[in-house]
Amino acid sequence: MAKQKIVSIKSLFYTSVSLVWIFALAAIAHIIMVLIEKHNPVIKYEYAWSCAIIGFLTIYMTRWLKRDGWQSFWGILGGLGLWFAWEYSLMYGGHRTGVTYTFNGSYPEYRLMKWSVMAFIMVFTYLIYQESVRCNFIYFLRRKLRLMRGVVATGKIDNYGPRTAFEYIMITWAGYLLLMIAYDDQIFGPYSWFCYALFFVSFSVFFYLVYKLIGYDKFGANLRYSIPTVTILWNDVEILAKWGMLKEPWVHINWKIMSVIIGGFVISTYLIVKDLRRKKEGMIESKDVV
Amino acid sequence: MKYLKLLPAMMLLAMLSACLTEGEVEEAEVYKTPYAERMKMIEQEFLAAEKEGKIITGDIVEGNSLFNGTTEPQNKTYGEPYTKEEFRAAAISAERNSKLFILSKDGTLYYPTCPKGQSVSESEQALRIHRVFTEKQKTSGEKLFTWATLVPMTGREIEICGDIYPGYAEVKGLHIRSVRFEGDYIIGQD
Repeated sequence: MAKQKIVSIKSLFYTSVSLVWIFALAAIAHIIMVLIEKHNPVIKYEYAWSCAIIGFLTIYMTRWLKRDGWQSFWGILGGLGLWFAWEYSLMYGGHRTGVTYTFNGSYPEYRLMKWSVMAFIMVFTYLIYQESVRCNFIYFLRRKLRLMRGVVATGKIDNYGPRTAFEYIMITWAGYLLLMIAYDDQIFGPYSWFCYALFFVSFSVFFYLVYKLIGYDKFGANLRYSIPTVTILWNDVEILAKWGMLKEPWVHINWKIMSVIIGGFVISTYLIVKDLRRKKEGMIESKDVV
Repeated sequence: MKYLKLLPAMMLLAMLSACLTEGEVEEAEVYKTPYAERMKMIEQEFLAAEKEGKIITGDIVEGNSLFNGTTEPQNKTYGEPYTKEEFRAAAISAERNSKLFILSKDGTLYYPTCPKGQSVSESEQALRIHRVFTEKQKTSGEKLFTWATLVPMTGREIEICGDIYPGYAEVKGLHIRSVRFEGDYIIGQD
């Protein structure tokens, strides 16, 4: 008998708001970069440094936050700040070393990022052996590869902020690496079996992750779990754009669609903040998700 | 007071920021003009040059294979400088930063350069170039890239508004200000 999953209206609400917030955040992050490049590219490296400093301070600030919801909320924003800074640093590196766009249109910074794949593997190797990591995917790998000598780590996590920031960075990094390897004509290419497989696997995994996500009904857990869920969906958005089947509204600055996305971001931010403020009283223990 | 410990790290970051972005300040003046106005000026400049017959029209060809004689775009039909296999090789070389040239209809070879007088320069192939649209493209309502770079244009015909320099050994220098071309920047892709 399969175990019956209890899905409440409450968990559906938390899931949908979290998904909208993370998706809109990624879209807004993209359009900010596009607008800077279009209107005043001179400021982009100052902007990158600001993002790095603010991102770092935001993550540092989470040490004073008592609730995992707030820690996760600010952790995501801190991670995004650092991610922005990294993208711009690669842009600067590409600029200095004369890295060109590829003939199928990939940007220099992502061409450089693709070759950070070994750095990613080194970090990931550490993570799959790091016993305090609670990522479900890493749990799965540990089980299947028989990597754990003892029981898995349990217990309270005092600060989800840095963890969430790191999670955001690692998942975004993984997403970009997969896409860039898929787009590389000298490895696979946008119309290769790998790119099609990535598209369909991402599409399927997105629904699986949403199914898992609706099992949580707190903004801390939901926000954290929404990061991989949205990033997986983002693969499909990017691939559809690469195939010419979608004009990304944040690249081509389609204000009609962007207004809806920005509206969704404002409303979801309001709902998250309202909920987290309402539950201000006392520390709420959450399930270990990531 | 204990948070003052963060101050050195922040100052270091700020100093690094200032050092690394110093070179960008030179361009700051250009961007004081609003984007729409800048684009209008670029378009007017392009159309004025077109009226005076100063637009360079040519195929973008890859330099390494041209100069070692592996390909002969100069002996091909204008507008089709490469076979399918040659194109792939040329495009891969171009994205590895082998130099791209513009081969005009009359057979003149142009080497894209930075403007005269610029002392420190960089790869022209990595730079975004402003794009001017045809009337048909403007009325189509299609969302097209407002800029282009040279590598994805390898093997394609392109119209260029820019400054021509005498160059050397019959290869002329060309500082590209704006470009115009049919279709989208990346064909079939976003």
